[in-house]
Amino acid sequence: MPQTLKLASRASLLSRGFPEIWAELGFKAPARVTKTHKTLEDMPGPSALGFFTDLFCKRGLARLHELQIEGKAKYGPVWKASFGPILTVHVAEPSLIQEVMRQEGKHPIRSDLSSWKDYRVCRGHAYGLLTAEGEEWQKIRSTLGKHMLKPKEVESHTGTLNGVVSDLIRRLQHQQSRHGQHVVQDVAGEFYKFGLEGISSVLFESRIGCLEPEVPKETETFIRSINRMFVMTLLTMAMPKFLHHIFPKPWKVFCESWDYMFAFAKGHIDKRMTEVAEKVSRGETVEGKYLTYYLAQEKLSMKSIYGNVTELLLAGVDTISSTLSWSLYELSRHPRVQAALHEQITGVMDGGAIPSAADVAQMPLLKAVVKEALRLYPVIPSNARVISDRDIQVGEYLIPRKTLITLCHYATSRDARFFPEPDCFKPERWLQKDATHHPFASVPFGFGKRSCIGRRIAELEVHLALARILMHFEVKPEPEGGPVRPMTRTLLVPEKDINLQFVSR
Amino acid sequence: MAAPGTASLLRASAASSCRWLLAAFRGAAGRPGGGGGGVVSGSVAVRTPGRFFGVSARARLSSEDKVTVHFINRDGDKLTAEGKVGDSLLDVVVDKNLDIDGFGACEGTLACSTCHLIFEDHIFEKLDAITDEEMDMLDLAYGLTETSRLGCQICLKKFMNNMTVRVPEAVADARQSIDMSKNS
Repeated sequence: MPQTLKLASRASLLSRGFPEIWAELGFKAPARVTKTHKTLEDMPGPSALGFFTDLFCKRGLARLHELQIEGKAKYGPVWKASFGPILTVHVAEPSLIQEVMRQEGKHPIRSDLSSWKDYRVCRGHAYGLLTAEGEEWQKIRSTLGKHMLKPKEVESHTGTLNGVVSDLIRRLQHQQSRHGQHVVQDVAGEFYKFGLEGISSVLFESRIGCLEPEVPKETETFIRSINRMFVMTLLTMAMPKFLHHIFPKPWKVFCESWDYMFAFAKGHIDKRMTEVAEKVSRGETVEGKYLTYYLAQEKLSMKSIYGNVTELLLAGVDTISSTLSWSLYELSRHPRVQAALHEQITGVMDGGAIPSAADVAQMPLLKAVVKEALRLYPVIPSNARVISDRDIQVGEYLIPRKTLITLCHYATSRDARFFPEPDCFKPERWLQKDATHHPFASVPFGFGKRSCIGRRIAELEVHLALARILMHFEVKPEPEGGPVRPMTRTLLVPEKDINLQFVSR
Repeated sequence: MAAPGTASLLRASAASSCRWLLAAFRGAAGRPGGGGGGVVSGSVAVRTPGRFFGVSARARLSSEDKVTVHFINRDGDKLTAEGKVGDSLLDVVVDKNLDIDGFGACEGTLACSTCHLIFEDHIFEKLDAITDEEMDMLDLAYGLTETSRLGCQICLKKFMNNMTVRVPEAVADARQSIDMSKNS
């Protein structure tokens, strides 16, 4: 039976090393509890000045993902560093990341200090799902989780998303036809628009025209605001307070970017709510399935809806764009993988033109390609947790409560012990997991109740888009184009434009 | 290493893909009446078979639609509860207020693996095929076995009557065992 086979292969993982880790966690003998743990004082790490110099003088902020790998090589799997005024413990080993995640508690906290929260307090805005904590967070999470994560609910967005994918294909055809060699410049830019149109369609069930030949100006400004906000996020957090007085510009740009994003979201929400109210007043039934409405149904205040929708909008843009850009970038450089994937897609579609959720569910290589792209280029290169109410044990260390713990996902997902030839694009490693596989080595969406709420919609959106793009085009590297590397801009993004040749099939 | 050929990649992906065969049917057995409500009614939800069981029909469900499940809790205690055909095992734990520490943290949204349960062989073999989504989450479960599944994805059927499922030992014990008093 297929299921048994799958589980058997998975069970082989059990026989190689996990039991020790898990047994250690699960059956802690009292004798061990009283043993002295190592403390923060015992932990290695760069000097505050050294790390500060790395960050501000050696392009460290854009290379934060690489600093994870350098830190691990230098100090081992756990080290401490001062990110500006914040002391943080870095954890760069899958089994230790697992230990942290399993101790995150009832209302996990990503970070209790952040410039995002400061901005909201400063402007009197409500927190959204990304910034709220405790019971407030739980209420929003439960409401949104119901509609965004349950498979059946996610599938119901297929039609809407496929409409957006159709526009994307049309736009790609338009862009490639303008270029002599059918090159689409800056594919990430195109996919930003696709991401924004996609998440808007799910949130508002209306289209905002990002993929039209003439892109609305406010769309461009919104996307630019997201980019600037992300650049300033790390900078404003890493800068000690006194520096803010000397260099006020980063904080100012940061706030202006957020202001625009909040205004953009509010404009769309108000417009949609007015339409609904008019329909209801005319006695018409409102049919639809969009998230803003569900939030309103839950009796959340309008302020809270604005806060949440703003955060959901921005969360659906870079994430989709980077994943699609890197997937196509790697496929363009691995024509055999692309050919195999194309064969699988056309095989499943059997003459059909528009893949459904059920169709892409039958394309394991498609899913493997996306998993591999996210392993090489995790959109969130590092995540964080704060355990506020108790000290926790992580490996041999006892980490005091309220410590910011940085989870170094980029380092683990490029670790040769878990992914042989770690810098190579090899989607087949996800089809036949071998003994090197560790489930916590690549967790691009996070894990647990604070994991990515958009995960299922994003996966569906990326799978639908990628399948259809490959049905219409063979994607090749730009003639004479060189390699593109990732850089950190809070999120991991391409360092320069990814230009790809789209040859119509 | 040479890039894999088209044929070998397809073979590999076919081998891993048996479980999606049933994926298309997944969800049809979901909770009856679990849709939205109010003035908004998603057209998809309306077509879900379960929606045809209105409140009155559900109230008429007789005892033969009940399934008894025994849970062996983390501490070895046995908890017995009854659920309706179609309910998920997570629903049973929540509805019957069973005291299983940390169970179902993500409320059945397939975002964690805390509703991990271990099944008896003869029941496990008869369960619906696992989806990729569940497989990915189960991969991250603590104390994985060959007959593990996520409780939120297993819906009660008649053949499960009187089955025993085991809750794996808790990782939570590790956190609570750290002596916090000495640091506070």
